[in-house]
Parts: sequence; structure tokens; C-alpha cells
Amino acid sequence: MTTFAMPESIVLRWAQTPGMTELEPYRRAGGYEAARRVAAGELAPEAVIEALVASGLRGKGGAGFPTGQKWKFIPRQAPVTYVVVNGDEGEPCTFKDRTLLEGAPHLLIEGVLIAALTVGARKAYVYLRREFYRARRTLEAALEQARAAGLVGRGVFGSARDVEIVVHSGAGAYIAGEETALLESLEGRRALPRLRPPFPAQAGLYQRPTLLNNVETLCHVPVILTLGPERYKDYGPPALFSVSGHVVRPGVYEAPLGVKLRSLIFDYAGGLRPGRRFKAAFPGGSSSMPLVADHLDVPMDYDSLRVLGSMLGSAAVIVIDDSADMVEIIARTVEFYREESCGKCTPCREGTIWATQVLERILHGRGRPEDLALLEGIARGMTGTCFCPLGESVPPSLVASLRHFRDEYERYIAGATRGH
Amino acid sequence: MATDPAVRTVTLTIDGRAVTVPPGTTVYQAARAAGIEIPIFCYHDRMPPLGACRMCLVKVDRMGKLQTSCTLPAADGMVVSTTDPEVVAGQEAILEFLLINHPLDCPICDKGGECPLQDQTFRWGPGRSRFVEAKRDFAKPVSLGPVLTLDRERCILCWRCVRFGEIIAGDDALKGFERGFTSEINTPFTLPVESKFIGNTIAICPVGALTSRTYRFRARPWDNEPVPSTCTHCGLGCAVWFDVRGGEIVRTRAREAPAVNDIWLCDLGFFGHDYVASGERLTAPLVRRDGRLTQASWEEALDLVASRLRAARDRAPGRVAFLGGRRLSNEDALVAARLFGEVIGTPHRDHRVDAPPGGASLEVAWGLRAPLEEIARGDVFLLVGCDVTEEYPILWLRMKAAVDRGAALLLLHARRLEVRRHARWERLVRADRLAAETGALADALERGAAGPPPGLEAAVAAIAAGRRVHVVVGRFALDGPGGSAVLAAAVRIAEHSGGVLHVARGKGNDIGAQRFGLLPGAGGWPAPEILRRAAAGDLDVLYVAGSDPATAVTDRSAWDAARRGVGFLVVHEAFLSATAEAADVVLPSLVLPEKDGTVTNLEGRTLPLRAAVRGPGAARGDREIFSLIAARLGALFTYGTGDELFEALRAATPGVEAGAILPVAPVPARLAGDVPAGAVAAGAGGGSAELILATIDHLFTQGATTGRCRGITALAGAPHCLIHPDDAARLGVEPGALVELATGHGAVVLQARVTDVTAPGQVLLPRGFDAVSAYALVRWPHAVVAVTVRPLVAAAAGGAP
Amino acid sequence: MSGPPARPLGAEARAEIARLVGLYEHRQSALLPALFVAQREHGYLSPEALAGVAEALDLPVSEVASVASFYRLFYLKPVGRHVIQVCTNLACMLNGCAAVVRRFGERLGVASGETTADGRFTLRTVECLAACEEAPAVLVDEDRWARVTPGDIDRLLERYP
Ligand SMILES: Cc1cc2nc3c(=O)[nH]c(=O)nc-3n(C[C@H](O)[C@H](O)[C@H](O)COP(=O)(O)O)c2cc1C
Ligand code: SF4
Ligand code: FES
Repeated sequence: MTTFAMPESIVLRWAQTPGMTELEPYRRAGGYEAARRVAAGELAPEAVIEALVASGLRGKGGAGFPTGQKWKFIPRQAPVTYVVVNGDEGEPCTFKDRTLLEGAPHLLIEGVLIAALTVGARKAYVYLRREFYRARRTLEAALEQARAAGLVGRGVFGSARDVEIVVHSGAGAYIAGEETALLESLEGRRALPRLRPPFPAQAGLYQRPTLLNNVETLCHVPVILTLGPERYKDYGPPALFSVSGHVVRPGVYEAPLGVKLRSLIFDYAGGLRPGRRFKAAFPGGSSSMPLVADHLDVPMDYDSLRVLGSMLGSAAVIVIDDSADMVEIIARTVEFYREESCGKCTPCREGTIWATQVLERILHGRGRPEDLALLEGIARGMTGTCFCPLGESVPPSLVASLRHFRDEYERYIAGATRGH
Repeated sequence: MATDPAVRTVTLTIDGRAVTVPPGTTVYQAARAAGIEIPIFCYHDRMPPLGACRMCLVKVDRMGKLQTSCTLPAADGMVVSTTDPEVVAGQEAILEFLLINHPLDCPICDKGGECPLQDQTFRWGPGRSRFVEAKRDFAKPVSLGPVLTLDRERCILCWRCVRFGEIIAGDDALKGFERGFTSEINTPFTLPVESKFIGNTIAICPVGALTSRTYRFRARPWDNEPVPSTCTHCGLGCAVWFDVRGGEIVRTRAREAPAVNDIWLCDLGFFGHDYVASGERLTAPLVRRDGRLTQASWEEALDLVASRLRAARDRAPGRVAFLGGRRLSNEDALVAARLFGEVIGTPHRDHRVDAPPGGASLEVAWGLRAPLEEIARGDVFLLVGCDVTEEYPILWLRMKAAVDRGAALLLLHARRLEVRRHARWERLVRADRLAAETGALADALERGAAGPPPGLEAAVAAIAAGRRVHVVVGRFALDGPGGSAVLAAAVRIAEHSGGVLHVARGKGNDIGAQRFGLLPGAGGWPAPEILRRAAAGDLDVLYVAGSDPATAVTDRSAWDAARRGVGFLVVHEAFLSATAEAADVVLPSLVLPEKDGTVTNLEGRTLPLRAAVRGPGAARGDREIFSLIAARLGALFTYGTGDELFEALRAATPGVEAGAILPVAPVPARLAGDVPAGAVAAGAGGGSAELILATIDHLFTQGATTGRCRGITALAGAPHCLIHPDDAARLGVEPGALVELATGHGAVVLQARVTDVTAPGQVLLPRGFDAVSAYALVRWPHAVVAVTVRPLVAAAAGGAP
Repeated sequence: MSGPPARPLGAEARAEIARLVGLYEHRQSALLPALFVAQREHGYLSPEALAGVAEALDLPVSEVASVASFYRLFYLKPVGRHVIQVCTNLACMLNGCAAVVRRFGERLGVASGETTADGRFTLRTVECLAACEEAPAVLVDEDRWARVTPGDIDRLLERYP
């Protein structure tokens, strides 16, 4: 095996450089310069948005919506506009946002400032999942420093513009990561997704125009403005991959979009444990359809994965080797959606409980031959009928596992029980 | 999605048919308008779409996924299929999902026969279920209070009931708890539901999850005969169906009436019919012999009444007086007015039995001065001494809709209203300060820019900015100390803001009685004066119909004195009420659900009554009784059919038309005097008491009729009074403890509820609990009396029942 | 008047909630943070605590209770002094969390969702904690523990008296 030289990172490095949780080191390294230029009017909102469009930056929360476009949708002249940061990071095996928050809080604050100044918001809420205690402490401390230095609050960077940033914590609900459910949650209600349209850009928090972005997305923004979109693009453009599961060095890796799945697993994450063979991988969190060995050379980008019926999602690669039991894994993911279904719509609420009941039965050696068709039927009933993407996440994995790992199901049905 | 304002319609194709609809119409509504049925569960046309059940799927050309038609705006050129195999498969899947945890107990379910889930499974369902797992198992039906039962396993989580409470009623009564597959509808801690509108959730539940405790298992819907009529409880005249089975009203349902109640009812309407079938109904006339009421024939009773009336008339027509009218139909009132006005010739007639002397209730015609539909378009509502949900619940639903659109709700009362959460401004004052506060508000408005006194800013700003202001003065204000001053100030506020002043006063058919002649004629006495004159011996016959003055007159002693002073008391009654017990002749009469005819609601609208059931025994309609007496006095009223009578009504009062509003008389610009504001009679113990007593209205009570409706009696709960925590602490009153309330005139014992719903310094006593009458404590002419509160025993463990 | 009697929250909690309200355009936005304040004060969200929050924010108790029941980190039943959350989602599952859960269960004598008789610990298995590079990951109160093995558990528990 040739030694692999990891490319230089331009976003993640902020979180990996010691000391970046403090204001002064961050500023000395060039931090807050982009935000200052925006506040001073040296970079007009149009120019910021143009740079984002040119950079090709797409949302890192999972949906991959072009960020520049999204910023453009925010109406200019609205009396009140909000910026909301999605730091709910609940997608299984995604941990890049937490890594950024704990290592580079000022990068996020700077991204939020630029966003607020660009769309004309005076207030930003950072919605962090409750379990991010350390991240929250780090971010609050950084905010204190930035506030004391006049970078956050009244008249930021000595300008006439106010930008207040409030950290708000969730209370344990994956669905609260879905943007409209997040807004409901931020308004103090049950995190049930809202009907769209209207989209948050038109009527978001308190029915005001709201720019809602993922933590990582906003962390890319100062980098883009600092390097310029062209140089930024030369890096890939870059994406942060959370690699976990059966790899030697699980962690967050910055790699160019389009990096091969094989390279992520074997170069970046140190490969599989000795003696193990690759079995499958979710390329974009458990909501993405799992890939198998045939797919190891797929470029990890939006379109290539979509063509395969999967998605880049939150770029969380969950690697599974041949020691794992695929039926257990699929049962566990469906159970996750059952636990996290908000319960608003019928197919997700009922389909997830029904499918887990059938899968549990199979795992306990009480499967019937017709159960595989039944699982396919449940999956079909949930496909295209759910209110939001949470429920829609279940069928692709379930169907893919029935296709690629049917033998494992059949072994259970033939009389095996969990763990063989 | 932007619609060109120039485009007035959009045309789409549904199942091959071109359908043209206004912009903003959903595909579901468009299909429905074209007669194409799409199954729904969560969608309800009185609420915005939710898109939760996913039943209403359709296929739309060039849209990848199936779409929920209830949430999809129709667009020009859209091509929609409701029958595509993909749609069929989708709907089958949704129904299968819904049914996996739904019990198949249809044969014993109240909803059976009128159940959308049952019907849609039949039409769109998969035929058989592949579900072999254990169904979700909730503890069997739970009771959520006296009228509501919840079967959670039947619930399909359409969220209609929850959204009804949030969007329509604003009471947040039922809520969703937990989430995902453990989601359930409930109240917090499964406590009794707190609502005045919960019957509507039973009506709109698409399965048998919410059922009525009073109707449960009583009938199958196909056995019921629905009779269209009008609810006559609060006076708003909601349209109802009385479902009749075996000669008995087994349930009441809302009948759609866009101008009045739309499709809703309050729980008094839903559950307030049991009294009709009560076994305690009077079935034969009673005549007092040797001091005791004994059964008599109609002949005997009518002859006796006629002879006493004749004798009194012969002495002087003014020695006869008539009281009552609230529980009479328009036709009854007209005939009563003719009997007493023309045949007997007495001007002393009044339906305002519950009005105190000197109060503002006697100064103005009662009623709303604008249609409910116009009120729904209001942008400011100032409620002065009107507890809208306790008095006129359906009026609140109209206001709630307006408030959601941005209207300002302003509250001025001596108690905190349940709707306060929706208010932009709220002022809680002691009863004797209401007049001063209303005056201060009027002053501030008239002063304009000068700057309102602290606390009034928000109200002044809202009223000043309002373009369709509605000022609603309620009974509490009119009859309280300084009622005339409140009214005068309200007139000024309405005038200043170009708004409408409503006199929210009157129940049942009070407005019909007011309209059709049950008001004092020339030189006639108002009700309190009739009582005073009776007590003074100036009357030979007091004739009561459609009222129970013994419990309604706000000074019990005034009634007692009147009774003692009058030689002969005749009463039409359905029950042996307190008034009937004291009468010389009791004539058993029908109740409104047993009558054909009309009533007049608070708007002045003429509404139909249709006899749903026959009366018990020999009971007779009031107008028939009046006619029989008139005949004995030599006057032949020859009204044949009900239609002829209605013609007589129209002739008597031009402008009366079925279903139409004839406005009530305007509020006079100048108002008469009043008891001086703040006049408080000294209480027991020589005025040492610091608390004043005031009576308030409750929707659920225990009176002669409500006390005979199982659900309502239970909803009303135990007689109680409200006392502020500060006062309770000072007096050593524990929450839920029994207390004795004493004034110089009497004492009652009841439960104390310690709550900051009341202002400090006063005790509020709900009226309408016949067992513990507030009016035993009150002595005219004082609207407010001082009261002492003495704790009797400590609260039982567990507090209030 | 039904519903639990409102035992107002302590002055400190009420002041904190009042401060929270000021952070938002609508007061209901302070509901989740306020519930955490009440939970801290009462140990869990008792009916009284819910009523106190409802009162402080002028919201219907039904709404407060409904919202609280939606989120996993609001405890509507009493919990132990320390709450142990063991991630059992994929990365941790692939790295042996089952043995960790089992060991916790044996040591504490409780199943997931239960509280030890001495009221010291509540054990919960939870969904992904977003600490997958440290799988199996465990959160005890606010501390995150990385790569926990069954052998670590005795030492770990000692840190939480
Ligand atoms: C069920 C569900 C959960 C989601 N969870 C998250 C999350 O935890 N964090 C996140 O940033 N986006 C999440 N998203 C995506 C958001 O809805 C939204 O697309 C994103 O936050 C927008 O920000 P971006 O454009 O910067 O990606 C989730 C979406 C769904 C459907
Ligand atoms: S698919 Fe339906 S039930 Fe599932 S989370 Fe979305 S809205 Fe809720
Ligand atoms: S009726 Fe359309 S989703 Fe329920």
C-alpha cells in the first residue's frame, strides 16, 4: 500500500489547529477579516452572494441546496429577518458539525455574522442539539469574547449594524433537524415539520423571512470569501466527511467532493480492521441507501450518488465489514426512524412500527417466507407518501438490503436466530 | 406559485374533466366542487390543510411523487388523476397503515354507520390486512370528564380534535402527547377536559375515538330521526338537529348555519337536552287545595285561573301582572301579550325577571346591534363585564377567528376570562370599580393625544386604530354597581370609535319576548316594580310563564315578599320549580324542543323551532294555554296553524321574516340615573367586612333544566365561590375548603376555590346553582353587598373535586 | 378548577425564565429552555413544574405538557441523580455498544429507562450522540466518554457519587 498524503484542508484545519477556540489566535490567523469587510461595506451583499454562487457551495445539512441561491431568496426590505443555524446534527454517524463547534467556534460565528449582515438580519439563533454540552460551552465562551470585542451585538465592527447571536438548545428529537420542524421547535412547539410552501426564506421563524443553514455550510462561508471562490473550488470544492463504523481511524476528513468512497475508507480512514472485508457503507448517513462492494469506486458527490439511488446527504460514511449482520443493521436503522418519527403523518408513523415488528420477528427466528414481500410492500407503501424526508428515508435502505443481502434474511427465516 | 392578480380563475383537468376554480383553491376542493370525491381524514374545511393523514393522494402530471390534494393549490393547466393505479395503491397503503392499529370493533362502536374510516375502507381499502403483529394496546376507553370518552386505540391521529381546540375554540383542550407510534391524543395527565366546545370534537372525529358519554351505546345512527330546530339555551339561537329515537331526544348535533353557528355548538347545546325527557316533568295541572298542590283537571284549573283573572280585571286591569318570557316561543309571547294586553288590559308585563331595579338592564333593549357575521369581521372587541365563553360561547368562536386575523381583544371585567390568553389587553378590577374604569377608558379616548393613564395605553391604542370596533357590554356590567355609568361610558367609546355597542343580555328567547310584547306597556311596571307592588298588595293575580322567578330574581327576599303579597299566583311550568311550588295553580307546559314556532336570537334574527318530541302526559303548549284562558274570558284567538300565527307575528312586527334579522331598538343616547356607583350595602358585622360579593355567569349550571341534564350537571361541578389567594391567606381559607358566606341578609355554605381569576377584595359567586342561591345574600337596591367569609372545615385531601 | 395546583417555581427559576423570554420575539420560544430550568429545579418535570412553567410563560398547561412529552430529554418521571446515556446507533453498535449496555445493566441492576433503587443513576440507551469517532460513546450528565469498554464501567461509575 502506497502511503497517502492527505490534501491540505481549508475548512477543517480551523478546527484542528490548537487554540482556535480563542478570539486572538483566530484573528491573528486572519479570522473575522471577511466579516469585517462585509460589515464595513467593502463587500456588498450582492458580492457576497455572488461569491457563494461562484463557489458552488451546497448546503451541508443533507439536502444539498445551493447556498448562494438560498441567500438570494431572502427578500431584501423585510422589516425583520432572521438567521437560524442548524446545529441539531442528529443524522446517525454525522459528527462534523460538533467537530467544528468544538474546535472552531469563531469560524461559525464569523459565518453567522456574514450571513446576518448579508441578508439584513439583526438576530441569529444557533439551534444546537442538547447533547452538545461541550460544543455549547465552547461556542458561548467564544461568543462572549466576540461580544466583548465588539464583533457581536450592537454596532458590529464599529458599524451601525447590530447582530445578536443567541444559542438555543434542542431537547432530544432528530426530526428537529428538519428545517421547518426546527423552526417549530424554536418557536417552543412540538417539532413537527411544516407544510411547504411557504419556505423558510419567505415565512420562517415567526413567519418572517429566515435564512436557515447548517453549521458546516456557514463555516465554509468565511473561507470562500477569504480565498475567493476560484481558489476555494480548487480544493474540490471541499467537503467534510464523517467516517465511522468498521474503520481503523474513524473521524472527520476534509476531502474534495467527488473523492472515491474507496479512498475515503482506505486512505483517509486507515482502512478496515485486519482480516476484514468490506461489506457495505452508507455514504450519507443512515438516511442514504447503503452501497456495496461494487460501488467502492463511486465518486462521493451529489450526482453520482443520486444516480445510484443513494445520496450524499450529510456526507457521513458508515462503513460495515463482513463481521456485521445486515438484517440487524437494517432493523436498527428502521428502529431509529420509528423512535424518531414525529408521528404527524400516517405512513411514517405506522410504517416504521410495522416494519420493525416484522424485522424483530425475523431476527427472533419467527420470520415467514412471505415476510420479505411484506417488507417490500411496507416500503412501497411508504415511498412517496410521507410528509417529510424522514419517513422517506426508510424504504431505500430496506429495499436495498432485501436486494443485496436477501440470503441473510433467508437464513433467519430458515430458522436461524439473531447472531446465528 | 405566485398567482397573477389579473387571473381571476384557474382551470385544471381532474380525471379528464376541465374544472375552473378561483385561485387559491386546493385540488381537493376543486375536485369536490366538480363532484369528484377524494377520501380525506385530517382535512377539515373549517381549518387550514395539514397534510398529515396522506389519504387524499392524487397523481399530477409532471410531478414525480403523489401529491396530497388537500394541500396542493390548483394551478392552471394542471392535469390530475384521482383514479390512477398509483393513486389507488397509495390510498390502499394509507388505509392499511391506518387499520393496522385500529380495532375492528365497529359493531359496538358509536360511530358505526356514520364513520368515515368505515366508509372509506369499504370504498378505497385493501380488502384484507397483511398485519399479523400485536395491535397497539391502550388501556380501555378513558373518561375525560363528564361528557367525553376517549378510545385511544381507535384514534387514527388525524389531529382534527387538537386543531379544533387550537384554531377554532382557542382552548387547547385536547393535545397530542408523546410522538411517533406512541403518539396519542389526550389531556395532560388524562384529567377531565377543560372546554366549552368539546362536543364539536366528537362531531368531527372521523372515527369512534371521541364519543359522548351521555350518548354512548344509546342508539345506532340509522335508528335516529333528525329534527331540525334551534337551541334555546344561551340566546344565540344555534341551529341544531335533535336526533330522536323512541320519542326521546338522544342527542343534539349542530346543524349548519353559516350566519349563526356555522357548524359548531357549545357543550350546553350538545348536552343540554336531557331535561326534556326527565321523569320529573309535570304531566297534569296542580291546584292548591288546603295549602297543598294537588292534581286537577285542565277544565278545573283553567276555570279557576280564568275566574281569578276576571275578578282581578273587573276590579282594575292593573291588578294583574305578567312575568316571564325567556322560555316562550315568539308565538307564545305574542299570544301572551294579547291575552294580558288586550283581553285583560294590564300594562304590567315584563320578561326581564332577572334584572335588578335601577340597573342599566332596564334602560336599553337587549341584543346585539350587528349580525354575528359582521362581528366576525371586527378588528377590535372590547368586552366590558361580559364573560363571552360563559355567556355566549358561539360569539367567542366568531371573535376568535377575527383575533387570529389580527383583531384586538380587550377585556375589562372583575374576573379573568378564559380567553385572556388571546387578549391584547386585560384589566381585572373589583366589581365596584368597573364603572370608573370604563369611564377612564372613554375619557382617555376622548382626550386623544393627551396620553392615556398608565395601564390603558394598549386599549386606547387598539381602539383608536380600530376601524370596526365592537363594544360588548355584558350582564355583569349592566346589573353591577354603576351599570348605567358603564353603559354611558360604553356608548361614548362606541361613538368615539365609530363602533357598534352591543348589549349582551338575555337568554333563551328573551329577545323574542322583548319584541313581541312582554315589556311594560304604557304606564306599566318593569319586573322589579311588579314584585315590589305585589309585595305591597297592589296585585291580585301574578301570572308567570317561561320563567322561574323564585330562582331568577336577583334578590330572593323580593320574590318571597311578592309571593306573600299577591293573592293568586299562576305558573306555567315543566317542573315543580321553586316558583311552581309556591303557586296556587301550576299549568304543565311544553318546553321549547316540544314546540313548533319561532324564536328570536340575540341578533334579532327569527329562527325556526320544530317540535322534536311530544310533551309528557297532559302538558300543553303555552300559547294554547293562553288561548284557552282568553276563550274563557270571552276572547277567541283563532290561530289555526303555526303558519297563521307566524303571519300574525309578521303583521304585529313588520320586518320579521324567517331567518332574517330585524335589528333591536337602538341604544338611547341619554340614559337614566342609577344607584350611585360603588354603593355597597354594609354586610354582617356592621360593615366590618372588607370583601364584596358579586355574582357571575357560568355556562354550566344546576338550574331547573340544566340540573336535569346529566352531562351539564356534572360539568357544572359543586357549587362554589371564587376567592383571591391574598384574601384566602388572610382569612385562613384553604383551597377547596367549605366556607360560609354571610351578608346581612343571609348565609350560604359552599366550596371555596382559591384563584387569582378573581380580583382581590371580592368573592365571586356563580349564579345558576339552585341549591345554593347567590340571591339569598343580596338585597335590592344594592347590586353589590359586603360579605364575610368564614372557613368551616379544612380542605379535604385532594382539594376540589 | 382541575389540574395540579400551580406551585410556582422558585424566584431564581422565574427570573431565569423571564430573562429567557427576552431573547425571543414570541414568549413561547422560551418554552424549551424554561422546561430545562424547571427540570433542573425539580429534578424532573413534575405536574407542578409543568404548571409552573405554564404560568411563567402564560401558556396553557396542556400545551406545555404536550410539548414536553415530545422531546426525549424532558423527564416526565423522576430520574436518578446522574443520567447515563449509552449510544446504540450504528457506529456504536458496530463497535460493541451491546456489551457496554449489558455491563451497565448488570452493574446497576436496571434496564434501559430505569433508575437504580438508590436514586443514583438512570440508564438510557439513546440514538446517535454525534460522537461516532469515539464509539462506543457514552454521555453521563454533561460529560462525554469515548471508546467505552465494559472494563471501564466500574471506574466510570465511581466518578459519579
Ligand atoms: C429528518 C431530517 C433531519 C435533518 N437533520 C438535520 C440536521 O441535524 N442538521 C442539519 O443541518 N440539517 C438537517 N436536515 C436538513 C435540513 O432540513 C436543512 O436542509 C438544512 O439544515 C439546511 O441547511 P443547509 O442548506 O446549509 O444544508 C435534516 C433534514 C431532515 C429531513
Ligand atoms: S415522515 Fe411524517 S411522521 Fe415521519 S417525521 Fe416526517 S412528518 Fe413526521
Ligand atoms: S386529507 Fe389530505 S393529508 Fe389528510
